Amino acid sequence: MEIRDLTAFFYTRGGNGMTHSSRRNLRNGLIFVSPWIFGFIAFQIYPILYSLWLSFTRYSGFGKPIIIGFQNFQQLFKDPLFWKSAYNTLYYTLLAVPVGVVVAIVLALAMNQKVKEVSIYRAILYVPSILPIFALSFVWVVFSNPRFGLLNLIGQGIGLPVIDWIGDPKWNKLSIVLLAQLGAGGPALIFLAGIRAIPSELFDSAQIDGANVFQRFFKITLPLITPIILYDIILGLSMGLQIFTQAYILTGGGSSGANTAGPDNSLLFYVFYVYKSAFQYTQMGYASALVWVFFIVSMGIALAVFRWAKAWVNYDVE
Amino acid sequence: MVDTYNKTHPGVVVEFVQVPGSETDVAKLMTAVRGGTGPDVYQLDRFTVAQRAAAGVLEDLTAIVQKKDANLSSKYLPFAWAETQYKGHTYALPFDTDSRVLYYNKDMIKAAGFDPEMFNPKNGPLTIDQIKQISQKIDKTDANGNYTQVGFIPYDTTFSQGWHYTWGFVFGGKFADLNAMKVTPTDPGVVKAFQFMKDWAAMMGPQKVQTFISTYSPPNPPPEQHPFLIGKVAMMVSGDWVLNSIKQYTPNLNYGVTYIPIPEKGATPQTWSGGWSFVIPTGSKHVAAAYDFISWMTGPEGQKMYTVGSSHMPTYKALLDDDSLYEGNHKFFKQLLANSNSRPPLPVGGLYWDALTQAQNGVTLKQVDPMQALQQAYDTVQPQLDQAK
Repeated sequence: MEIRDLTAFFYTRGGNGMTHSSRRNLRNGLIFVSPWIFGFIAFQIYPILYSLWLSFTRYSGFGKPIIIGFQNFQQLFKDPLFWKSAYNTLYYTLLAVPVGVVVAIVLALAMNQKVKEVSIYRAILYVPSILPIFALSFVWVVFSNPRFGLLNLIGQGIGLPVIDWIGDPKWNKLSIVLLAQLGAGGPALIFLAGIRAIPSELFDSAQIDGANVFQRFFKITLPLITPIILYDIILGLSMGLQIFTQAYILTGGGSSGANTAGPDNSLLFYVFYVYKSAFQYTQMGYASALVWVFFIVSMGIALAVFRWAKAWVNYDVE
Repeated sequence: MVDTYNKTHPGVVVEFVQVPGSETDVAKLMTAVRGGTGPDVYQLDRFTVAQRAAAGVLEDLTAIVQKKDANLSSKYLPFAWAETQYKGHTYALPFDTDSRVLYYNKDMIKAAGFDPEMFNPKNGPLTIDQIKQISQKIDKTDANGNYTQVGFIPYDTTFSQGWHYTWGFVFGGKFADLNAMKVTPTDPGVVKAFQFMKDWAAMMGPQKVQTFISTYSPPNPPPEQHPFLIGKVAMMVSGDWVLNSIKQYTPNLNYGVTYIPIPEKGATPQTWSGGWSFVIPTGSKHVAAAYDFISWMTGPEGQKMYTVGSSHMPTYKALLDDDSLYEGNHKFFKQLLANSNSRPPLPVGGLYWDALTQAQNGVTLKQVDPMQALQQAYDTVQPQLDQAK
């Protein structure tokens, strides 16, 4: 509720009603945060507006940008790689976000078991998410090798056919979804905190009333952690839509011979395409146009999620 | 090499920094130059020189070349020099070059019941059909139907050089009309090459080949596990740099090199050459010193050192006559240079390469119609070329 407090601060004390000391406080406060304000304007606001302007130009990064009006945007809708990368990204995100929420909740429940060694389990479950994603990606390449990888050894053990997790366009996006779950420890901790914050009387009385463990989970735990689920969805959306590193490494972005992003561009995600447009094809203007379309669509998705969330997020208990 | 230069050229210190990225990926250079902290010298894939020059990343060297040595252009292989030009100006000095051949594993061919002697270049090039017969005998699959060893994947680009350009040149294709400034991916020869790759993929099973590649040549693979070096692939098209890997990791490999196969009896065998160049990025504060360094690197002394040390070949003509620089199989590569092809030096060279690669991917993996895929490559690249003109 920070925002409400802040507005209250400005309503009650702002404007003419300010006392001398509070005005001085405000001034000093602004001076103290001025490095941040300056940085925010110089490194956020300015580049954002600059990229908006660039999106109406043709610009290689050198020389003078040439204004070409809406040409970049017109070209964009005719560009098959734009559609391909948008499809890949949405496909990935729609898969990764729900899977991520479920895995994080399951991990949180596991971390919440009342056993003596729980702290050891917590550490084990959390450790993979400390590793930087690019390191995990290199490990993942070995994991998902069709013949020698652990993933396929397990798969074959339970009777699955051999799956080419890297080279098969049908499977390699799912492979990155699985890879992302190694980072589920972070959100799981937040879920754990949410679960522990639920008053234990609720569980106790439910148990006395004869509710079994599943009823308790679906009727008590789940409704009470819906705000955290929403938070996790929003976070997952923003990370999912911006996915880049994993695809860059899994397609050998750093090695030669990798001029498409995976077989049939199946791992060409949107931000990856922006990167290629800007730095490989030196089309800064076009890349800026791509980014702005991306920004508007992401905003739309986020707003839609918030609106949808009103139907199921429980804000009663806080 | 940099050490030698520093020792022999007091007053100038050159620091060597290796940057990651594929040939067409110059993100680090772009951002550094734009930020005013660019290097004084950069090693750039030569076929992208025109593209980077068009973008304004490179210093125009025409005047300084003229001043130092007006005859410089005649000292280099013509195709290599042509790749350093953009709109009649010089933007780079050519460094090394290479050529592509068919590597073959003699033991695997013998095991399949063929005489490796038929591959000997003395007997002339083999046809694609002959190679196909041999290759099919070498292919092996496991219980799941996945390949455990293969004869030849002509269109592989992860561990070998089965590029669009390779087969396009083999089938007599023309990739661009430089006078009209048009890319011509739908040239009949190029289409034929793509049809060949499509048919071969259909024969082996596109996804099964892909799985084989993911298994034995995963992303960022260690060089000593190269599928040709460990005997998983019997034949591959690749360049002379592989000679060095073999020498280093599997010196006992029983292999040979020969012409890339030809479409039908009587055709002239084809190959193509690329290589690197040295450039001075715009904004360099030491252009004169930088030029001194790159002209040393790309001159007789630098190129000689590099040729001996790397098993690449020089673009400096005089060095090509010195047979002592090339040992064993390397001589065969050098011999091919005289009739080699090179990629058209277009200001959209990198984009064109990627578009062709994408078309090749579609044709092999998804069995798209070659004409359709190549038309799409044209539609992607030509508008950009029109803008760059």
